[in-house]
Amino acid sequence: MTTYETRSAAALAAAAGLTLAAAKLAPPRPRTGMVERPRIARALDAGSETALTLVAAPPGYGKTTAVRAWTADRDATLAWVTLDADDNDPVRLWTYVATAIDRIRPDLGRRALQRLAAATGPMEAAIDALMDGIAAAAGEVDLVLDDLQTVTEPDCLATLAYALRRLPPNLRLVALTRADPALGLPRLRAIGDLAELRADELAFTPAEARELLVERHGIALDADDVEVLHDRTEGWPAAVFLAAVWLRRLEDPHPAVREFGAGHRFLADYLSAEAIGALDAEARAFLLRAAVLRRFTVELADHALGRSDSADVLAELERTNLFVARLEHGGWYRVHSLFAEFAGLQLAATEPDEVAVIHRRAAGWLSARGLLAEAVEHAAAGGDHAFVAGLLVDAHLALVRTGRTRTLLRWVQALPDDAVIAHPELAVGAATAATMIGNAVERRRLLHLADRARDEQPGRVGPYVEAVASMVRASAVDRDVAEAVTHGRRAVAIAGTDPAADPVLVAALAGHARALYLAGDLDASWAAALRAVEHPDAGRRVPGHAFARSTLALVAAERGRPAVARRHADKAKALVSGVGSSRTWLGANASAAHAVVLAAEGRLPEAERELAGAERFFRDEVATVHHAWLLVVLADVRCRRGRLDDAADAARSAREVMDDLGDCGRVPTLAAAVDAKLAEAVSRAASGEMLDPPSAAELAVLRLLATDLSTREIGGELFLSPNTVRTHTRALYRKLAVNSRADAVARADLLGFLARTEIT
Amino acid sequence: MAARTYRLRVEGELSDIAAQAFEGMTLTRGAGTTLLVGRVRDQAELHGVLQRVSDLGLTLLNATVVDDGDEAPRR
Repeated sequence: MTTYETRSAAALAAAAGLTLAAAKLAPPRPRTGMVERPRIARALDAGSETALTLVAAPPGYGKTTAVRAWTADRDATLAWVTLDADDNDPVRLWTYVATAIDRIRPDLGRRALQRLAAATGPMEAAIDALMDGIAAAAGEVDLVLDDLQTVTEPDCLATLAYALRRLPPNLRLVALTRADPALGLPRLRAIGDLAELRADELAFTPAEARELLVERHGIALDADDVEVLHDRTEGWPAAVFLAAVWLRRLEDPHPAVREFGAGHRFLADYLSAEAIGALDAEARAFLLRAAVLRRFTVELADHALGRSDSADVLAELERTNLFVARLEHGGWYRVHSLFAEFAGLQLAATEPDEVAVIHRRAAGWLSARGLLAEAVEHAAAGGDHAFVAGLLVDAHLALVRTGRTRTLLRWVQALPDDAVIAHPELAVGAATAATMIGNAVERRRLLHLADRARDEQPGRVGPYVEAVASMVRASAVDRDVAEAVTHGRRAVAIAGTDPAADPVLVAALAGHARALYLAGDLDASWAAALRAVEHPDAGRRVPGHAFARSTLALVAAERGRPAVARRHADKAKALVSGVGSSRTWLGANASAAHAVVLAAEGRLPEAERELAGAERFFRDEVATVHHAWLLVVLADVRCRRGRLDDAADAARSAREVMDDLGDCGRVPTLAAAVDAKLAEAVSRAASGEMLDPPSAAELAVLRLLATDLSTREIGGELFLSPNTVRTHTRALYRKLAVNSRADAVARADLLGFLARTEIT
Repeated sequence: MAARTYRLRVEGELSDIAAQAFEGMTLTRGAGTTLLVGRVRDQAELHGVLQRVSDLGLTLLNATVVDDGDEAPRR
């Protein structure tokens, strides 16, 4: 068997379902013949003591060029990642970063990559491993994240914010972006942990503009001309460069400059058109089409553009510094993004069909080479939804298995309904993914599309699709418990008899078991869950296995077998291993089951904390029975802790959730029991007068009794011995006329001795 | 989330070619600015328009909602 230790970074990345496009990890080659800008390098050097260096400016301000030129003169080792919208997926984002680091020295990113390939662990552990790897590097490391504006998912940004707090001293993080990222910049600024280089500094000075136009391009401009150009462009480097490409072809540039200076047209628009017009026909034809690709190799350009001489054209464009940059390795080229925008629009105006043709050819070429993400993006841009759907049918299981559910959903959401209906296996696979990340609205939409597929093309919906759809409905218990039980039974029946649906059996049993639990049929629930965990495939079917374990824990806890319950709850948590992380549906479910076990063991504060975390995950635009059940359990635990107001809040929320649902199984009965318990606790707390007010010392102890601190810890907080704390506690019980800590807290709360901002 | 009509003013007069980037919106050019007016379904679509403003390197001067009568009154 291959062990992780002997596998290369590429193999690990492949195990994570990623094919790393070399283009994303290769910095552009430092350009020669550029305007020297020592002031920019000095500004970047000044950030050596800060956690983050932010280079923020609109497109065309030369962010990439400036940072690349600066890194080229440094002794630090460079790791470069160019981000794109697909990196709104923490696993993909950090796999790229870790691979870039691993390339510095093969082992620095290895442990992080192993953790990422496992896909179920918390991201924080992978980031810690990566930072430890970097700290072990011999010298300084510069990590450059280009195009950070494409990362917008809060989950993803949270992992970056976490990393910022863990940077080793030998790492400089430089982020290039068009928009300020939500990384708590004001705080970083306030504590002096942020260096910034912005549009104002990146803009050309008049002297720099003159150097580019007159010295580098040999355009015969006088001082006034340069001033006009600088004023009109406000030093925007891309505009000055476009002006150079345009003006150098003119015999006498003065009239053109004067007209330009007096005009009102949008700069980049005007200058792109002029610069494109000034190119020779060969270069123009190539660039307008290559701009559609944005990033390409010679082979890809030949294929997508239907030519065989891309290598020669590119060599000439690179030599003359015209709008394309060659990346350091992998043979990739990149068209300057601002130019690409206008070139693309120009091509769309003159040859409208050509754009889609290029996208589609590129998608075919990329998919044949396993570059899934790039192929999907091009096919979608080319409007070839059938091709996108086909790619996703093949890839969706691997994407879900490797934790890239968000990416899958983003792609599926971009498809028109018809394309999803044509592939019902994709609809139910994506519905599973939506469930995993807690997106109930999307889950319902996708299940609805699967239903439409059955109605519109009955032959296309086989037993596998039927089993998955029913499994999801049973597990998610969206609206109606009786319905979920029926779906569970159906999923088990199909998966248990039809070989095509056999891989669904463990998950189907787990879903059925949970629906039965919520229906109150504990015997049947236990039997189904046990069948799931004892299935020979249970080891390979982690989600179903973990879900079934959670249900076993719930049933055992309810039957007064806490030791058995504890064993199953621990196993469930180990299986999802994102311990405490309520970020996924499985994690939240395992947390909830674990909390119920904690409560059965009398560890109420821990139980409440874990339940509250899990409950946040189930809050959604739409109500589900799981959410209602969780709120009732939370209300019960709070009531037992004497936190009566908060318990009443949770009970009220549970009723509100149930108002939007159909049959909620046993949840209303559980809710009624909690309500009764709550009413009794309130009356008990309210009865009797306070004979003797507590002393100041007793009050201090009382406030800490409301936390989950132990007697010893309370003593530590108040500089008292545990015995003194016990004496105060006894006095408090007597004065409050109660017999337990929970009742003492409840009554003190009612009498107004506790502030509402209690620590939980 | 109701559809709304937005007016965005950007610096510079856009050519017809650049106007294609804002398909579905009405463009009015004059005095060194371009006014883009169009109905967007929701905030996501509005952010898509703003994204194109950013991609083209345009400077946004202002953005407002137009009360256009055919929308149900909002609280």
